[in-house]
Amino acid sequence: MISVYLQGDSWAHQVPAGLKLLAVALASLALFQVTSLWVYLICLCVVLLCYASLGRAGLAQLKLLRALSFFLVLLALMHWYSDTLHDGALAIVRLLTMVLAANFVSVTTRMDDMMAAVQPLFRPLALVGLSPRKAALGVTLVLRFAPHMLVVYGMLREAWRARTGSRNSWRLLAPFAIQSLRMSDNVAEALKARGGADGLSA
Amino acid sequence: MALWPQKKNRNRPRVCDPDARPYAVFDGAGLTIGGKQILQGLTLTLQEDRIGVIGLNGSGKSSFVRLLNGLRSPSDGTLALFGAPSAQAEPELPRHVGFVFQNPDHQAIFPTVEEEIAFGLTQLGAGKDESRRGARTFLAQHGCEQLADRPISELSEGQKQLICILAVLVMEPSLLVLDEPMTSLDALASRRIRDKLLSLPQKIVMVSHDLDHFDGFDRLLWLEEGRLRMDGDPDTVREAYRRDVALRLGSEQEPAAL
Repeated sequence: MISVYLQGDSWAHQVPAGLKLLAVALASLALFQVTSLWVYLICLCVVLLCYASLGRAGLAQLKLLRALSFFLVLLALMHWYSDTLHDGALAIVRLLTMVLAANFVSVTTRMDDMMAAVQPLFRPLALVGLSPRKAALGVTLVLRFAPHMLVVYGMLREAWRARTGSRNSWRLLAPFAIQSLRMSDNVAEALKARGGADGLSA
Repeated sequence: MALWPQKKNRNRPRVCDPDARPYAVFDGAGLTIGGKQILQGLTLTLQEDRIGVIGLNGSGKSSFVRLLNGLRSPSDGTLALFGAPSAQAEPELPRHVGFVFQNPDHQAIFPTVEEEIAFGLTQLGAGKDESRRGARTFLAQHGCEQLADRPISELSEGQKQLICILAVLVMEPSLLVLDEPMTSLDALASRRIRDKLLSLPQKIVMVSHDLDHFDGFDRLLWLEEGRLRMDGDPDTVREAYRRDVALRLGSEQEPAAL
């Protein structure tokens, strides 16, 4: 499940979602104005302390860095090659700080709070006759079902492997597309059965 | 007790009476999808508290129960639901008819249990905080408060299905329709879910392949090739159904019979 939300009741969980998002946005903007590596390192330490304040489960979230490490090493190599190591170090620490800060918000914010905070951004859609609630629900559905699609793909791959012995094939794409469409039909039906995307009070 | 007062709809007069008995009246109702006759000539009246539906795969069970909550509309004949013609009743049906699907993974929309339950209340017009509080209260009433913050993906199959049922019940429907709700459950979980269902005040229409699930039901409908083959008390219908299956096993050896 991508839903990285960490169950808990820490100080960070209690800060309103909108405030957290705004803080990360403003901090990112501010960070771009600074060029001192020391300031960056201090910011990074602050973010790491935030994770540490969530306890062991919070620190475990830092495993996210493993996925990033390849990219960061590549970035460092490029800067080393072009002899701009100082800039490279800046870029890497800045990226690390921002990604970790954004992830910290995801980890400590429930999906419905996040949606409620983001929903006003969809409000202009109402001007062209689209419902902001629908857009927000759409985002929720993507977050909920993306991991499920991976499970479906895994099952197709297993079925393929059981009969061919090979691990993967582009031929799985067509059945995967069909499975996805069928699933979206089912989900749409379930949503409709509970009153549809617009609710029953409208 | 209503967890959230349902908002009055001023634009459209209410046509459904959720307490109407009979709650569904089929008169020569049929359903054709893409030129294929799925259901035909159904004439029956539903008023019992616990009604079961059986039949082989492709007999039209799923389509039949989907007529009850407006996911399908009859293409011939007439159907009255909660005292109103189905076409007029349709917009109100999600409020009166809770529908539980076979696969909980296709029904649960939200990542956590509490959000999934709260969704039903926001559908009825509650604000975010009210619906969240309402969801907590409701989960506690059903002894599930410890599940509230759990991600749905981490629940057992039985817990998932229970949450799907509660997510529908929180909207306080008068009728609960279930399409093979126990298919993915083990024997213990399926027994627990069945006991839970039987304890509910709601009227229930349930499809299942396991004939034992209909112990304690008032009536059993047997569909075959889109028609009502038999309709009566569960013991009589189950007995006839078992005999028919045995008979078919003896006479049909072709894969076409599967």
